[in-house]
Amino acid sequence: MKPAPTLSNAFLEPGGQSLPTPLLELRKQRGTALVDMPLPTRKTENWKYSSRHLKLTDGLAATLPATGKDGLSLSLPGYRVVFRNGVMIPEASDFPDLDGILIQRFGDLDDADAAALAERLDNTLDSRAVQMARLNSARFEDGLYIRLDKEAVLDQPLFVVHEVTGTASGSAYPRIYVDAARHSQITLVEEYLSSGEEPVMVDSVTEFMLADGANVTSVRLVMEGENVQHIGATGVRQAANSRFESHCVGFGGPLRRHDLMVRLEGEGGECKLNGVVVTQGKQHYDNHTSIEHVAAHCNSEETYRNIAADESHAVFNGRIHIHQDAQKSSANMNNKNLLLSTGAEIDTKPELEIYADDVKCAHGATIGQLDKISLFYLVSRGIGRREANTLLTMAFINELVEQIPVQAVKDAAQLRLNEFFDQTFEEA
Amino acid sequence: MATTDKEVNELIKREYEHGFVTDIESDTFEPGLNEDVIARLSGIKKEPEWMLEWRLKAYRRWLEMDEPDWAHVGYPKIDYNSISYYSAPKRPEDMPQSLDEVDPELLRTYEKLGIPLHEREKLAGVAVDAVFDSVSVATTFKEPLAKAGVIFCSISEAIQDYPELVRKYLGSVVPAGDNFFAGLNSAVFSDGTFVYVPKGVRCPMELSTYFRINAANTGQFERTLIIAEDSSYVSYLEGCTAPMRDENQLHAAVVELVALDDAQIKYSTVQNWYPGDENGKGGIFNFVTKRGAAIGKNSKISWTQVETGSAVTWKYPSCVLRGDNSVGEFYSVALTNNYQQADTGTKMIHLGKNTSSTIISKGISAGRSSNAYRGLVKFGPGAEGARNYTQCDSLLIGDRCGAHTFPYIESKNKSAIVEHEATTSKVSDEQMFLCRQRGIDPEQAVSMIVNGFCKEVFKELPMEFAVEAGKLLEVSLEGSVG
Repeated sequence: MKPAPTLSNAFLEPGGQSLPTPLLELRKQRGTALVDMPLPTRKTENWKYSSRHLKLTDGLAATLPATGKDGLSLSLPGYRVVFRNGVMIPEASDFPDLDGILIQRFGDLDDADAAALAERLDNTLDSRAVQMARLNSARFEDGLYIRLDKEAVLDQPLFVVHEVTGTASGSAYPRIYVDAARHSQITLVEEYLSSGEEPVMVDSVTEFMLADGANVTSVRLVMEGENVQHIGATGVRQAANSRFESHCVGFGGPLRRHDLMVRLEGEGGECKLNGVVVTQGKQHYDNHTSIEHVAAHCNSEETYRNIAADESHAVFNGRIHIHQDAQKSSANMNNKNLLLSTGAEIDTKPELEIYADDVKCAHGATIGQLDKISLFYLVSRGIGRREANTLLTMAFINELVEQIPVQAVKDAAQLRLNEFFDQTFEEA
Repeated sequence: MATTDKEVNELIKREYEHGFVTDIESDTFEPGLNEDVIARLSGIKKEPEWMLEWRLKAYRRWLEMDEPDWAHVGYPKIDYNSISYYSAPKRPEDMPQSLDEVDPELLRTYEKLGIPLHEREKLAGVAVDAVFDSVSVATTFKEPLAKAGVIFCSISEAIQDYPELVRKYLGSVVPAGDNFFAGLNSAVFSDGTFVYVPKGVRCPMELSTYFRINAANTGQFERTLIIAEDSSYVSYLEGCTAPMRDENQLHAAVVELVALDDAQIKYSTVQNWYPGDENGKGGIFNFVTKRGAAIGKNSKISWTQVETGSAVTWKYPSCVLRGDNSVGEFYSVALTNNYQQADTGTKMIHLGKNTSSTIISKGISAGRSSNAYRGLVKFGPGAEGARNYTQCDSLLIGDRCGAHTFPYIESKNKSAIVEHEATTSKVSDEQMFLCRQRGIDPEQAVSMIVNGFCKEVFKELPMEFAVEAGKLLEVSLEGSVG
């Protein structure tokens, strides 16, 4: 048997010099643990469908350089923080100083905050399940630390824009940590964009720690170009009576991977995970979600929709795990897939792992094409074929798009969707 | 709920009815596995050269394979060299030609198991190819079958008498390199059943084999091959019981079904092997590869199983739907109790046009057991207009058991449609209340509810098995409310 491939030493380069000491130490320590890290292969269960799209060539090892704000055109409402290649650009960022809310880049944290953060970093993620997040922990150059004190409420959505520049080949390691104290509230929007043409790898990690009664909404919009492999992980831990909502909208690329792991650790916790994925050409998108019901009386709702056109490939793997003491849990998972052409492929695996008896769990999954009768109905009423296709495809995901709580994201997503419809459906 | 709990405990504690050991001297190999053992095994069976070659090739292949670890089961590592690979009832040279010649001790064993061969011959109209350990000792009803042109014999006999058929189809559905346990079986399979239904023949009766594992430390490696020629029909029943034993016994069977144009095969199983005692000690390890190839157009393969036994079950009866318009079905009830572990399900591989498949799986877990459904539904690029419907329901009884669902769905054809649904629930207090309020005692009420839960599957079983299946569930679960 061939030995399992391991991470190239080229990826073990030192860096992070601008980080405060506790974080730099942590980063070094994580780096040492990375030596000979096995890379996922086809035999790695959670990378079964995606490992062949992961191409970690030595050319991607170098950290992309921090650059200025040149060429950035941003007109986002609300508060915003802009990162380029994983490093914050203060000149492009715009957010006020608010009572009880700390929004700060890792590089500017004082020693006490940095030490507190170093304690917490990685504590929402199971590193065995998200192998690639370990690389981020060893390579991040900067990051964003958001801390909400008790009952602090961020009155507007906070946009965190992560742009990578493909003017040269390399990689970037965006990182966000959100610490939401008791009854605090925040809406965080992550936007992933890119420029340039050279092959680039983005390995991002976002973590949310929710204390009792905290209310966090996370919106994630992935719109990088065809030169970008993006591997992302989001870890969430929820204390009692907290509520977490996630809205992910993703457009395909050579490799898009997102692991979303939620742990409901206190009674009365609630989470809602929505996701929309659109792929075309030879793109590949892989969403893995995991919801752990650790405590009793928690609810989870999950709805993911995939649309695959041309020769693209969309993967969904949803896991619900009800622990032994999580009685009275309620979990619902639903995954619907639309195959728009016969070259495309959809793989879905909705899993249930249940160790408690007094629970209500269900999952459903479907794969199909646009309903011919509905198409006929529309066409027979004088609606063009292209428009009819567009209408029905949009209807397939509209329910989820409508639920996105931030209008600007809805608009941006709709714009990209319209492009997709134009490219996919021909007038006939 | 106090009464109910007590009753649950009583029922759960009920001893295995079929636990006894028949005292017969066995001609058994020393434990261990190597090429010599295989050659000796093949020699005893007087197999032709090609068969030995086939076994050895499978063995060499097996040596390079790793034991799979992806299933949701845990068991102590099996030392394949501590197992004996052949065990036959005494006087293997002197095979009995009719029931009169059969060792009376053996016949009594069958009777205790409820397989009175004499009666069955006359009353049930079922031909029984009873397998005691590894060699078929009695085969009945051969003649009426022969009249119809149906071949129903042990696989050892088939290798002697119908080598061209065996050579053509053996390993064509489950190749030796398919998986670890199939590889092991291919190298050392001891005996099993061979069925051949010629063109246009509807098999005049339900065919049935009763398996029974006996003699300590003997792994049993059954091999079943069923071939249904164009426009033929056959229904095959398989049922199992095993004596009580402390040491784990390994069972790695392979079943291959081949359905040609317009042919139909219906394969039903009731599996009731020794599941181990209430502390999870002992019990059978059951690693089975079952697969049907619907090669022909409009062919149909239907699997129905009721799994209540074995300490560890690893079993995925599958259909490869190659022929256009072919149909695959899988109906399953899997029940686990105490420390039993089951990882079972099916694979439906759609390759032909307009192929369709249905999966209905009912899992019931009680005690500290773990019950997993693992399934694959796959549509190839050529599976134009293919269709699948899957329903997996789990019922949990008690708060220390686990129920899991791992469905894999892969589609490469846009016109293929797949629907998958899974639910998990327990016997609800409302259902119990409703029944008890009407004067039904809790034991009967649960029996009713569980039977209702499994009804969709039971109705697919042939009459003979439906009765046994209902009884089996009653014994293990009646009255259990968490």
